[in-house]
Amino acid sequence: MTTKDIGPKNPVQKGTEATIDYVDERSGVKTGTRWFLFRNIPAGTSWFQTLGFTAMVVFGMQAITGIILAMYYVPDTKGGAYQSIEYITNEVTWGWLVRGMHKWGASVMIIVVFLHMARVFIWGAYKYPRELTWITGSFLLLLTMFMGLTGYLLVWDQKAYWATVVAVNIFASAPIVGPYIGDILRAGPEFGPATLSRFYSIHMLVIPGAIATFIGLHLYFIVRLGISEPPWSKRRLRIERDEEDARRAAAREKAKALPGSVNYPASWPVEAKEGAR
Amino acid sequence: MKPADKKAYDKDYAQAKKTGKPFFPYAIYKDTVIAGLTVIAIIVLAITIRVEVGEPVNPATTDFIPRPEWYFYFAFELLKIFANQNVLTPVIMATFMVPNILIILLVVWPFIDRGPERRIWKRPFALGLTVIVTGMLCYLTWLGANSPAGVAKGALPVSGLDEQATKGMAVYMANGCGSCHMVAGVGAPGPGPDLTNEGAKGWDNAKMIAWLKAPKAPMPSYASLPPQELEDLSTFLNGLGTKYK
Ligand code: HEC
Ligand code: HEM
Repeated sequence: MTTKDIGPKNPVQKGTEATIDYVDERSGVKTGTRWFLFRNIPAGTSWFQTLGFTAMVVFGMQAITGIILAMYYVPDTKGGAYQSIEYITNEVTWGWLVRGMHKWGASVMIIVVFLHMARVFIWGAYKYPRELTWITGSFLLLLTMFMGLTGYLLVWDQKAYWATVVAVNIFASAPIVGPYIGDILRAGPEFGPATLSRFYSIHMLVIPGAIATFIGLHLYFIVRLGISEPPWSKRRLRIERDEEDARRAAAREKAKALPGSVNYPASWPVEAKEGAR
Repeated sequence: MKPADKKAYDKDYAQAKKTGKPFFPYAIYKDTVIAGLTVIAIIVLAITIRVEVGEPVNPATTDFIPRPEWYFYFAFELLKIFANQNVLTPVIMATFMVPNILIILLVVWPFIDRGPERRIWKRPFALGLTVIVTGMLCYLTWLGANSPAGVAKGALPVSGLDEQATKGMAVYMANGCGSCHMVAGVGAPGPGPDLTNEGAKGWDNAKMIAWLKAPKAPMPSYASLPPQELEDLSTFLNGLGTKYK
């Protein structure tokens, strides 16, 4: 990095610059960040392409509110879990807000991820070269759903308990591996204290870790391949129009060359162009 | 995609990038606006519609509808469609086949649809699929949201009950069987089969109790009910459609 020294510099500024240069020399963060932020993306990117980022932000919010909830939550089936939820909701300062945000955040995240997937699908953005981006994304969708499933039980109220009993039964009914999956989820043949701790650790550690990993992979592919251009961006439409014009011109030439062909009026190509627009 | 199509795409995309704009601030600005609005919406929802604490767990009774979160309603409704009504619609379709086929389709989709075309109006199959799948999900979720919320309270429209069967019916009502089963038109139409003519199967109480203790999924086990209640319940069920109509 070349710095032109014009006059004496503020020592704080000098020190900061030296520190940044020192770190950049060894890690490349500055160069990397600059490359990341100022890399070009297609000009016509649309508002629909913000949904993936939004899903990521909501996931971050779930992580933060989840950590706060975990400070108070007790995975104890003998009333502890239920009481700690009651305590968070009624006693902890702004506990109701944190719990409310976590609960609503879960629903919103599902909706946002689904809309993001719909955008990718409708745009054909999963096609070459972004197939693997889609696959990592599809795992993110499944993991997000599993987050909802495992989190529901933690409240340990009647609705949650019975819904989860039914859900686990459904997994357990799968042929061959089903009974094993059921035992793994329940931590044994019966629903009980071990089941709750197991769901707690799956919900708090296993799935969030997996989601973070897959978001990392997902982002790696996105940055490496670049975000796709809307298939109907202005640039694309112009190219398509030019191609269409060229095709029509060629067809006209061919028609003229045929004996006994009609002579089109001079205005024909203009009208055709208007129609194609 | 054929190699030529890939090359054409790479060239076209490089062109788009060359004439493009920097990620910062053009994309980041839109991202921040939408993500910010979403977070604000979540906070507003959390403030206006407060979370509740339900009733504490009691594994001995299900006077509660085993109802999942709304985003699993579609799966629950699927269960009702494939509620073992006949050999063509076994429960396993809804619990195993359909979900797994959908998941596999989801994951491998980019290898099924490999054409170079990206404009949705030139991909009628993909467009149709979008409309049908989204429509189905919305419809099933709507069905789930509007499915009978309460297990019918009070008595079932069944007559001829003796003392033990009356007790059995009370057990039936108290344990939320009606949220999955129907008797004489009362209760949910699924995922469990209609029990109006359960007695016609000619099971004895021992067989019924064995079923209640270890039923097939997704029906939960009722092994934690007191033996007397299981006996009453079985008497009631085994007379349905024969002794008690
Ligand atoms: C979560 C929903 C659910 C609940 C709650 C439920 N069941 Fe079921 N039940 C089912 C399903 C699904 C089946 C079909 C299982 C199969 O055959 O694979 C079934 C099957 C049965 C059968 C056998 C029916 C036949 O003709 O094959 C009986 C009897 C029965 N249930 C009784 C009860 C009773 C009594 C209760 C309440 C104590 C109850 N069920 C609660 C879902 C439920
Ligand atoms: C937790 C869930 C998810 C997160 C955090 C996430 C994040 C992102 C982000 C930030 C982008 C950049 C472009 C944009 O915002 O649209 C993106 C693009 C993409 N996502 Fe996701 N995503 C998630 C789920 C999914 C799912 C479920 C799928 C599909 C099955 C998917 C497939 C893709 C594809 C193919 C792209 C590239 C699109 C393009 O370049 O136009 N993602 N994702």
